[in-house]
Amino acid sequence: MKHEILAPLAGKIMQLNIETGGKVEEDEEAIIIEAMKMETPIYSPCNGTVKEIKVKEGDTVEEDDVLAIVEE
Amino acid sequence: MRQYFEKMTEFGHPLKEGQIKRTEENVKQIKEEETKLAQEIERIKNVGLPEEKINARGQMTVWQRLEYLVDPGTWCPLHTIYNPQNNEEGTTNVIDGLGKISGKWAVIIGFDNKLYAGAWVPGQAENVLRATDLAKRLNIPLVWLVNCSGVKLPEQEKFYGDRRGSGTTFFRHAELEQMGIPVLAGIYGTNPAGGGYQGISPTVLFAHKDCNIAVGGGGILSGMSPKGFFDLDGAEQLIDAAKKYKVTPPGSAKIHFDETGFFRYVFEEEKGVLDGLKDYMKEMPAYNPKFFRVAEPKAPKFPAEDLYRLIPYNQKQVYNFDEVLSRLVDGSEHMEFRPEYGPEVYTGLCKVDGFLVGVIGNRQGYLGKGYPEYADYPGIGGKLYRQGLIKLNEFVTLCGRDRVPIIWFQDTSGIDVGDIAEKAELLGLGQGLIYSIQQTDVPMMLVVLRKGTAAAHYIMGGPTANRHNAFTLGVPTTEIYVMHGETAAVASYSRRLVKEKDAGRPLDPVIEAMNKLAQEYHDNSRPIYCAQHGLVDEMVQMDSIRNYLVAFAGAANQNPKSICPQHQMLLPRTIKG
Repeated sequence: MKHEILAPLAGKIMQLNIETGGKVEEDEEAIIIEAMKMETPIYSPCNGTVKEIKVKEGDTVEEDDVLAIVEE
Repeated sequence: MRQYFEKMTEFGHPLKEGQIKRTEENVKQIKEEETKLAQEIERIKNVGLPEEKINARGQMTVWQRLEYLVDPGTWCPLHTIYNPQNNEEGTTNVIDGLGKISGKWAVIIGFDNKLYAGAWVPGQAENVLRATDLAKRLNIPLVWLVNCSGVKLPEQEKFYGDRRGSGTTFFRHAELEQMGIPVLAGIYGTNPAGGGYQGISPTVLFAHKDCNIAVGGGGILSGMSPKGFFDLDGAEQLIDAAKKYKVTPPGSAKIHFDETGFFRYVFEEEKGVLDGLKDYMKEMPAYNPKFFRVAEPKAPKFPAEDLYRLIPYNQKQVYNFDEVLSRLVDGSEHMEFRPEYGPEVYTGLCKVDGFLVGVIGNRQGYLGKGYPEYADYPGIGGKLYRQGLIKLNEFVTLCGRDRVPIIWFQDTSGIDVGDIAEKAELLGLGQGLIYSIQQTDVPMMLVVLRKGTAAAHYIMGGPTANRHNAFTLGVPTTEIYVMHGETAAVASYSRRLVKEKDAGRPLDPVIEAMNKLAQEYHDNSRPIYCAQHGLVDEMVQMDSIRNYLVAFAGAANQNPKSICPQHQMLLPRTIKG
């Protein structure tokens, strides 16, 4: 089953802690967005494998943009 | 009410492996700050004469006296590195804190007899007033270890006079006594003039056989030079007078036990004085803790060491406040007040050492879609919005009604700003919170977990709430300033940048000034700076926070001036619905 990691708010991608093909655990800090002077971590929704990463560090994203896809 | 309190809702989660791995650097950074603090504390302990030299005179140091007097494991030092006037000695020359004596909480303060025989020095009066304020707020005894040689004469102009000068202490003692708060004093050494009033102003005096208290000491008994200047003849007369009073200083134990009776007890041994204080403390007014406890004391379910990983040293990183709190309160249990409303602040009832406390803390991170409801921009934790402010007002008011002491945790960047926020009445709600705090009249304490910023630092139970805030703690991640240094640099220099640009002049000098200002803000908001300048009452290690919560909860419930029967409390019913 595939899960999308969405941007909860608009901001800049500050750090990617995942790589395509890599394993992630549920609630693992996958991506960090910088917005409103704060670094907001975005967590993996499930245990699984990172199928696709749609952003790179430094990208500006809007709320609800798909950042990555994790397959459970 | 055991159905409400004996077993509350558990919260918090154990750390995950990934979280442990990625926070190694965080642990290191926090421990480095704690090492700096430990070095400062060690420096204070070693100021003045070495312990061996004092002991060789047959005396104990103030540290040894405290160790003997205070029940093991209960000492919570305050103001250890406080030095608001930057004395060259690096200390205010008094040591104070909260501790138990014979099982009862007291504010304990003693002169450091290693330095100038415990003299008054700049900044000391403010330190002492903080201690008397604490006893007043918590309604618990103030216990003095008097050993005060009087004024450090070369710097008298810095603390002798003024509204809050060294003599103010004596009025504060009288005020405490009027309020029914006992002030006990163990008296050692030579205590002339100001030292004499330090000795006489408490309620019951326990004296060591070699001590004295006097209106004036031997050194001034020969008076001023009648000629208006000093010469050889005058010097010879002074030598004779000084020799005489060196042998018999005025106000000895013999005078004040046998003649005046000011000394209630005189003891042969130094430890005898402390034993006398211990015996007396057994009789001081205090409820049995079971009178107010709502459950048996329990340790938190998770270790305090987790705090080193849960609170990011990097001020820009968000974290989960609820996880932090779960490491500090009994059984990691709580009853959260209005969890669906005002998500930027946590409000809830918890237990500390079996006592009920109200807890308030800033939550961090993105607050979810559509919040704040009055704005078209997203809300981020650390800021206060309309709902949060309303919730804080309600919670504080209910704590006051139910006589529940409040523990605040700050990590706040301020109240939402701009015309949209003004229309949402945030200015009025902020001041409303100050009014709500003022009318509660319950003891409060504050831990500044990270940022204490802008007016939010005032309204969230900050030390400016003089009548309510018993004490404020800093931790290695604390920063206190009106705004972040970069924000301040922008506020101060943005117009100047425009002017220089329009005039075609180079921008480098302005940029340099901006960076300098930002750096100054950084340097002057560090945890040790905050503790030295009294922005916090003590900087503590992460794993010591709970000790202070226990001391606060116990002291606040030792002899409160008003009581709400547990079965008549409203707040738990409001939470249950």
